[in-house]
Amino acid sequence: MAPLEDLERDYPIIDSNFRMFCASHGIFTDTDFLLHDLSALEAFARQDYAPDKLEQGIKQMISIIESGQRPWLNGVELLEDSQLNKCTLSTGCEGIDILLQGGLREGHVTELVGPSCSGKTQICLKSASHVARNSLGKVVYFDTGNSFSPKRVAQFLSLLSDPSATQTNKAVERDMSSIVCHSVFDIFTLLDMLRQLMNNLRSQISFQVRMLIIDSLSSLIAPVLGGGGAHGHALMATAGFLLKEIAHESNLCVVVTNHMVAGEAGMLKPALGESWKSIPHVRLLLSGKYSATGTRITILKHPYLASGKSADFVVL
Amino acid sequence: MDVSSLPISASQRGKLISAGYASLSSISSLSPSRLALDLKISENEAVEILKVASGRSGGQDKIESGSCAIVNGAQTAWDMLHEEEYSKCITTSCSNLDEILGGGIHCKEVTEIGGVPGIGKTQLGIQLAVNVQIPADYGGLGGKAVYIDTEGSFMVERVLQIAEACAQDMLEYNALLQRDSQACLVDTQPKSFLDNIFYFRVCTYTEQIAVINYLEKFLSEHTDVKVVIVDSITFHFRQDFEDMALRTRLLSGMALKLMKLAKKFNLAVVLLNQVTTKFKEGSFQLTLALGDSWAHAATNRIILYWNGNERHAFIDKSPSLPSASSPYTVTGRGIRNSTSNCKRVKLM
Repeated sequence: MAPLEDLERDYPIIDSNFRMFCASHGIFTDTDFLLHDLSALEAFARQDYAPDKLEQGIKQMISIIESGQRPWLNGVELLEDSQLNKCTLSTGCEGIDILLQGGLREGHVTELVGPSCSGKTQICLKSASHVARNSLGKVVYFDTGNSFSPKRVAQFLSLLSDPSATQTNKAVERDMSSIVCHSVFDIFTLLDMLRQLMNNLRSQISFQVRMLIIDSLSSLIAPVLGGGGAHGHALMATAGFLLKEIAHESNLCVVVTNHMVAGEAGMLKPALGESWKSIPHVRLLLSGKYSATGTRITILKHPYLASGKSADFVVL
Repeated sequence: MDVSSLPISASQRGKLISAGYASLSSISSLSPSRLALDLKISENEAVEILKVASGRSGGQDKIESGSCAIVNGAQTAWDMLHEEEYSKCITTSCSNLDEILGGGIHCKEVTEIGGVPGIGKTQLGIQLAVNVQIPADYGGLGGKAVYIDTEGSFMVERVLQIAEACAQDMLEYNALLQRDSQACLVDTQPKSFLDNIFYFRVCTYTEQIAVINYLEKFLSEHTDVKVVIVDSITFHFRQDFEDMALRTRLLSGMALKLMKLAKKFNLAVVLLNQVTTKFKEGSFQLTLALGDSWAHAATNRIILYWNGNERHAFIDKSPSLPSASSPYTVTGRGIRNSTSNCKRVKLM
């Protein structure tokens, strides 16, 4: 919602005459312009003493507003985009990869939800190291609980590499330098950093980010959610939409973790409530404690796989 | 960019939106006096709002060209690995416990320690407050401690006892290595250990939250504090709390603030927790208090429990350590390794 004065800088046709004309009809911002009856406005413009300039101004306003919209796509274009740009990234855990038919998909926001110590952070670290090793791209890790452990990542990477290779140390260094970690401790900082990331990805093509991990999103939203105001919900929805936009535009795989809270009859349910349920594309539930023998992972929600399917996996 | 994603108070946000300013671009070009007039607030408040808004929108236009500048202030995992190698841990004076902890209590992490009453949580807290002061020559951090006491279980006489034992141990270590005692400037006066523990006593939950908010300023003035111990984090949140949703919000906010302090000032945060019973899978089980959402608040979790007649510690949650348990004892000198008293005699 920009006031008309700001537009004069880039489009000199929106000069003070045009703005006075609009003001006489109660139009001060571009939103007001959209809400107004445009044919009536054009009729008034024709009756004015300088009709051409005003009509040009109206046409310019319409084109400015339209250029801010996303173009319409048809199904074929979407399918091509999905096949060419959005590939599947393996998580490094066989069980999960088989369940998800390849792994985590770029363009999707995947949520990992589970009780405490079920292995969410371990899956995040393992996926980060796997993607850093196998893909030519970076991994951005937003850590809210100081649980990003470089030692564990180094352990995963050394397991992945060939034991006979002499270049193991250099390979580990190269892979670990593609994992970028930042600590976030409140939701406002997270929104800022996501916008910054989006701007940087749009403008520079030199580095390519393949995966964005936020561990855990629920601990950032918990302090603001509830309490009578809808502000917490608004922030949660804003964060969710921003993540989906980044995932689709920049062909990234976004992974967020969520914790569980007590529900009815003593059963646990995912935190963040009903309104969060519709935001991630894929929701995966980890049940039980993380153990060396295997933990169960179930699909709660997926765009094209059946929900309710589950598998056992082990993170070594 | 929306006005609703600015960290300002709800009333200010409401005034901004009702005056018609819904995006940052609409207020970025305003002067403070104009904004104050429009919103009917004082000019100081308007200046504050504009400062917050410009801080946010300024970051939009900056596009860095460095290799690590995907997000400002991020570090690569390789750099973090090297930093971790040089960081020291706080020893617990019990070598078995140190072993399962990977050296001791780590800095930059929040460790939660919970157990039944009488298992030795406060003893462990006091031991850590003394051990953090071990000088770097002896493998310690040489730092100070902040002890936030909510239950009143901090006994100064006991701290003196543990400090004396620690000083004696250091002298013995000295003698073992036959070091020149003048070369290491060790002030082995037990009273100096007491000087380096900053003690806060809180009596309500609001005081607790206030102290944690104040800690940021305190720690930036006292930069040699290396451990913050809260004994216990649960006490004021368990009784008489009517609004559970408020409790969850306050606890998760407090957890985030403590995480931030641990990371920013490179210190260890130790939270002591109590236990409660929970009806799970048809039976009553002992779990740590404060519920499921608090379970995610700490980086590491250690549970202390009785195994027969012995005290044991179990690593319940850790991003890099495997689950393991080890025995320990509480002696007159503090926390030490447990030596089994009943050794079965092997009959040949």
